[in-house]
Amino acid sequence: MTEAPLYPRRWPFPPRRGSGTAILFLLPLFGLVVSLIIYPFYRAIWLSLTDKLVGYPERFVGLKNYLYLLHDDTFREVVRNSLIFTIASVTLKILTGLAMALVLNGILRWRNLFRGLFLLPWITSTVIIALTWRWMFDSFPGRGFFNSILMDAGLLSRPLAFMASPEGAMLAVIVANWWRGFPFFGVSYLAAMQAIPVDLYEAAAVDGASPWRRFWHVTLPGLKHVVIVTVLLSFIWTINDFNIIYVMTRGGPGTATQVFATYSYEVAFNQLRWGRGVTISIFLVPVFIVGIVLISRYLLRERD
Amino acid sequence: MKGHEGSSTMGQVAVALAGIGRGKTLTLVGLVIFLLVILVPFWWIANMSFKSYAQIQFATSIYVPNPFTWENYTGLWADTRFPLWFRNSLITALVVTATTIVIATLGGYAVARLQFPGRESVASLILILYLVPPALLFIPLYRVLAELGTTNHLTSLFLSYPTFTVPFCTWLLIGFFKALPKELEEAALIDGANRMKAFAKVLLPLATPGIVASAIFAFTLSWNEFLYALVFIQDETSITVPVGLNLLIYGDVFHWGELMAASVITTLPVVALYMFIHRWMVEGLVAGSVKG
Repeated sequence: MTEAPLYPRRWPFPPRRGSGTAILFLLPLFGLVVSLIIYPFYRAIWLSLTDKLVGYPERFVGLKNYLYLLHDDTFREVVRNSLIFTIASVTLKILTGLAMALVLNGILRWRNLFRGLFLLPWITSTVIIALTWRWMFDSFPGRGFFNSILMDAGLLSRPLAFMASPEGAMLAVIVANWWRGFPFFGVSYLAAMQAIPVDLYEAAAVDGASPWRRFWHVTLPGLKHVVIVTVLLSFIWTINDFNIIYVMTRGGPGTATQVFATYSYEVAFNQLRWGRGVTISIFLVPVFIVGIVLISRYLLRERD
Repeated sequence: MKGHEGSSTMGQVAVALAGIGRGKTLTLVGLVIFLLVILVPFWWIANMSFKSYAQIQFATSIYVPNPFTWENYTGLWADTRFPLWFRNSLITALVVTATTIVIATLGGYAVARLQFPGRESVASLILILYLVPPALLFIPLYRVLAELGTTNHLTSLFLSYPTFTVPFCTWLLIGFFKALPKELEEAALIDGANRMKAFAKVLLPLATPGIVASAIFAFTLSWNEFLYALVFIQDETSITVPVGLNLLIYGDVFHWGELMAASVITTLPVVALYMFIHRWMVEGLVAGSVKG
């Protein structure tokens, strides 16, 4: 497309006014994209075909890293953990997001104030969120939040070390991820809900539809599109999550919460096996591509 | 159910309850639950930041700080490298925001307003880049930045952060520029202004709210970023706040009080900025990035 203005005659249509300006304006963007996204991506693919160890030159090994990982028990656990973490978080976010949107849609005064308050987790640093939730679940120092509440309610006699058990740690990282993510879902669903024409509800009410049926037949179909987009976006980001898990558990205890990004970091920067480390993230590329194809379908079609 | 011919305000209100509203009570109960869920972790942070080391360690006065102390805040400033980390974060966020805004404003305008072959592909490319997770790129990006000799220095962040701020802000600004009336620009062109002049004199001033909002997003994203900062910089004097916070617990002593004080100080600037754009942010973000 950048060739068009250079060879105007070859282009079937005369270039419209603005082509030159467009290229000039897009130049910095393309420079950035090519040098710092596309080129590193190409390097990632190349690196995954080598046995690069820090301090040694890289040697081409073909698909050895991929085959190794496919037979690696830890990697299988990583895949399983990532799926549990992602599916549980995204499901919780959809349900909570819907509830949040219904609540906000139901209140008439100070809706903007509450909406702003509810979005606070979404603008707070993930590291701070992860540290806070980690402490709220943990029993040290002091007693943590959940232990304090349970002990004061007489349900526990001694603090429990939630984060020390595999299930507890997984639960904790899911909760932290959910808490950070659901406000975005809620606000998106609220906007979509408010775009549903009031006539539809009125017509349903005239037909004698119960509130539940109105939700099922009017509200939910109106939200279908935005639900799909939020799920796809969140799936891509959650399955690639690094911050929450790294800060809360470092992938532990053992490998109980090790996911793609944290395992990739562990292999590349602690075991210093860069080739293998980068291969771990490349396993997610197909997921990413499928997600992108689906999202583009929804986002770009609506755009014009 | 009310007949729709008598659709008074009351009727409107009833239908506005999204179909499921079993009345006000359910909504109010929901509101209280959500407020608790959202605010409890923030209260935990603020609460703990005002307690002494002993109060935290021995779990005295758990729910409210009693006695109340500022010692974590003063200690954070005097005994840790937090001021340095804060400065590093601030410099990084400002440099990245400035770079991002220049690149994204030009790019966003070109895609939204100029006619050129391949315009749709560029729009798709920006969307795809906006979705690329940093976890996919951190290892090769580290190599590239190391070859450029920028690792262990804030320059590595100046270079790497725009890889996620630029696609995001460009995407937002495309939506924003598209929403501005075409006639104004066309009038300027007819009056003999060239593209550059029409852009600088007519569109840019109109787009200021969108640009400010994008700048705030870019600032927040840089301010909160963790993975690249962790990987690219090891030198303790060059790290940013999110990485530094982790050092406060993984040292020999658990500095939870200081950590919570640092969290308060780090979160406040972002909240302040966000108050400023909240209204636009909600409408723009949802409409611009989710609904399309």
